[in-house]
Amino acid sequence: MTLNNAFHFSLWAACALLFSVSSSARTYDDIIQTDFITVAVYRDFVPFSFQENGKDLGIDVEIAAQIAKQLGVTLKLKWATADESVEDDLRNNIWKGHFLDRTVADLMLRVPYDKKYRLKRDDIGELVNGQVHMFAPYHVESWQIIFDQANIESVPTIAVFQYHDIGVENDSIPQFYLMSAFRGRMRDRSKQFATIPLAIQAMQAKKVDAVMGMRSQISYYQSHLDTQRYLLAQNGFPNIGKQKWDIGMAVKAEYRQLGYVIGDIVEQMTKDGTIDEIFNRYRTVYEIPDFYAP
Amino acid sequence: MNNKGIKTVLSLSVLISLALSPAVSANVTDKDILNDQATTGDVVSYGMGLRGQRYSPLAKINTDTVQEIRPVWAFSLGGEKQRGQESQPLIKDGVMYVTGSYSRVYAIDANTGDELWQYDARLPDGIMPCCDVINRGVALYGELVIFGTLDAKLVALNKDTGKVVWKKKVEDYKAGYSITAAPIIVKGKIITGVAGGEFGVVGNVRAYDAVNGQLVWERPTVEGHMGYIWKDGKKTENGISGGKPGQTWPGDLWKSGGAAPWLGGTYDPDVDLLFFGTGNPAPWNSHLRPGDNLFSSSRLAIDPDTGKIVWHFQSTPHDGWDFDGVNELISFDYQENGKTIKAAGSADRNGFFYVLNRENGDYIRGFPFADKITWASGLDKNGRPIFVDSNRPGDPSESKDGTQGTSVVSAPAFLGAKNWMPMAYSKDTELFYVPSNEWEMDIWNEPTAYKKGAAYLGAGFTIKPINEGYIGVLKAIDPKTGKEVWRYQNYAPLWGGVLATAGNLVFMGNPEGYLLAFDAKTGQIKYKFNTGSGIVGSPVTWEMNGEQYISVLSGWGGAVPLWGGDVAQRVKHFNQGGSVWTFKLPK
Repeated sequence: MTLNNAFHFSLWAACALLFSVSSSARTYDDIIQTDFITVAVYRDFVPFSFQENGKDLGIDVEIAAQIAKQLGVTLKLKWATADESVEDDLRNNIWKGHFLDRTVADLMLRVPYDKKYRLKRDDIGELVNGQVHMFAPYHVESWQIIFDQANIESVPTIAVFQYHDIGVENDSIPQFYLMSAFRGRMRDRSKQFATIPLAIQAMQAKKVDAVMGMRSQISYYQSHLDTQRYLLAQNGFPNIGKQKWDIGMAVKAEYRQLGYVIGDIVEQMTKDGTIDEIFNRYRTVYEIPDFYAP
Repeated sequence: MNNKGIKTVLSLSVLISLALSPAVSANVTDKDILNDQATTGDVVSYGMGLRGQRYSPLAKINTDTVQEIRPVWAFSLGGEKQRGQESQPLIKDGVMYVTGSYSRVYAIDANTGDELWQYDARLPDGIMPCCDVINRGVALYGELVIFGTLDAKLVALNKDTGKVVWKKKVEDYKAGYSITAAPIIVKGKIITGVAGGEFGVVGNVRAYDAVNGQLVWERPTVEGHMGYIWKDGKKTENGISGGKPGQTWPGDLWKSGGAAPWLGGTYDPDVDLLFFGTGNPAPWNSHLRPGDNLFSSSRLAIDPDTGKIVWHFQSTPHDGWDFDGVNELISFDYQENGKTIKAAGSADRNGFFYVLNRENGDYIRGFPFADKITWASGLDKNGRPIFVDSNRPGDPSESKDGTQGTSVVSAPAFLGAKNWMPMAYSKDTELFYVPSNEWEMDIWNEPTAYKKGAAYLGAGFTIKPINEGYIGVLKAIDPKTGKEVWRYQNYAPLWGGVLATAGNLVFMGNPEGYLLAFDAKTGQIKYKFNTGSGIVGSPVTWEMNGEQYISVLSGWGGAVPLWGGDVAQRVKHFNQGGSVWTFKLPK
């Protein structure tokens, strides 16, 4: 080993000590005993989890903090880079770890709570998500259009977008929908952006007349604009497939006990209005999952 | 650490490196690189010559003697970090330069296998390379060893010390860019493809000054994007690829069209052109983007001085099967009716082998080299596929909530009848040696999919072998007739490169771990040696002190074990590794 490598190795060792995220997910008892819980949240995902001026912010970050508080432990965040699908994200962050850092979290937020998804099988018949337990729905997500009333009077139906440019995120359902639904009649009006915030900026710069994305994200950005001019549309999305879906959490399949404890905490937070209040603070539309219907 | 400390560390390591260096060695020149295929004492380019023929005139190891070769040293890449080793070694003045997984570079004494230096790139948190953490090799120029990293940087190291001379960010890894290909050096410029696994990337080919890493030109590979050239440090517009946007793409999809040239390219000095292949178009589902979607799934001929596209040939227009067109285009000449034809051959992922006129891109002939092709019934007189419409994966707007929609069975599978692993061309036998795979796939639209917490319309697929007994097939193919002269069938899929020599031999490794040597004319196995882990690298040969050497990296990995299904069943018991094996004849 050359000195160059020795230097690298010591740096690496120092880093490993600094970021001592556990290398495997742990039982409820381990979490209580060690006095901390590691929660995976997505990196740069406004308004759910993001960093601003060195502070950890977002709806999911606050929900994670509440869960840690209720458990009586401190919170450590694991910032997850989104992979191509949630299956990959669960593997990278909950049950196996990504092959570059091999660390996992005890709990992951913003995971679908969907029976079909839970029972989904791969090409050789194995459960795709059998390594994780998905539970505690805390939010209902759906699609939403925001439009600039200076350019569009109203959006009674999606047909308006045969005539007005609309921004969408690359590789998303809104993009697939606008490119293919109704034999592609809205295709030429669909403008692609790398992220929703970039599409919103383009709307403010009058490059597009509307943006379509997830309701929570769109409503968050709307609340930061002139709400008299930029309105949330009331149209439906015929033939879009999934109109609404529940968002929940995941732990490693072996750690059901942890799941039950956190499930109870989340149920309490949903019923006593804590979660609603967090969404309100971020001025984001909240919808309570059917799971908690009286 | 204070300044004094740094100085001490630097000077000490320089001393150590100097002490370990076997001899003061000459710098690699453009001439060395251009003559690489003919000079047997070194290997100074990826492809063993810029044409990428992977042919050596060495014949001491031949069909009569190869049984006697034996390992002289093995070198472990070490560490916990193993995974796929897809590198091709370069050798200059008794020093071997190889890359390892996780963006590592090693300089090894080629006589003894002793390590001279090692460089580990420090990779940032949160990089997300799509298909394993592999690297395919370095380029040598002057006193520099140049390679690309998983976080999309070009790094130039001093060849004697392994110290960083310069480092350039090629693209932002956060946007999904990475480099796995070995760069090539043409006329003093580093030519590299800029690529990424994520959707929304627009591919481009870039040239950097090989001495200082300054950008010289860049050429986007999607129609409608402006190319640039730097003159006296000034960025100047240099023509839009394809003339203007929107000719072969709907809406503004050209802005995020994909077509990433992730495998790098070749160069032919006779016609003075670079040849780069491009990846599939985005988004994945072809129903969203009616049109040919230029220049996706194509071969591009690019002027190395200006970065202008001189000609293009699209192997899969309006691709709907993920048939990247990145596979190497190898220049070769042949005689026909007393005339020399300046041709180039390429074995595409889509299952067809193309012979093109490399001066102008004209289609000369094409033929299937895969046993089973379902997506096209053949090629027309211009080499354009005749599509089988019923074999195109379905329209996502026709899939209803909760149902998979119709599934189509399509061959070859998206991993290709031939993937990245480079073939070889022997001027002695006038045959191409093509490492191919026989597999097919089911594809359907998958409504129960999520991405980053959002419902998402994914594609489901199953990749499966076509035959019980084998997936991999090494084929000796006559480019003049399309005839298969011989074949070798392998149980696991082939994923490593091929080498042909004047000793009437063809070398190749397999995932089972064997380095294999075949009679180039008959396909008879003349030698096999188990290296202990699967081979997915490319073998090389060179001469040192009057003896012929063969080297290959061993270390199972790459894209195959990352995909599930029946294929995974065949490869899941292969053990990882990471070593360089070197062979020669006993004295």
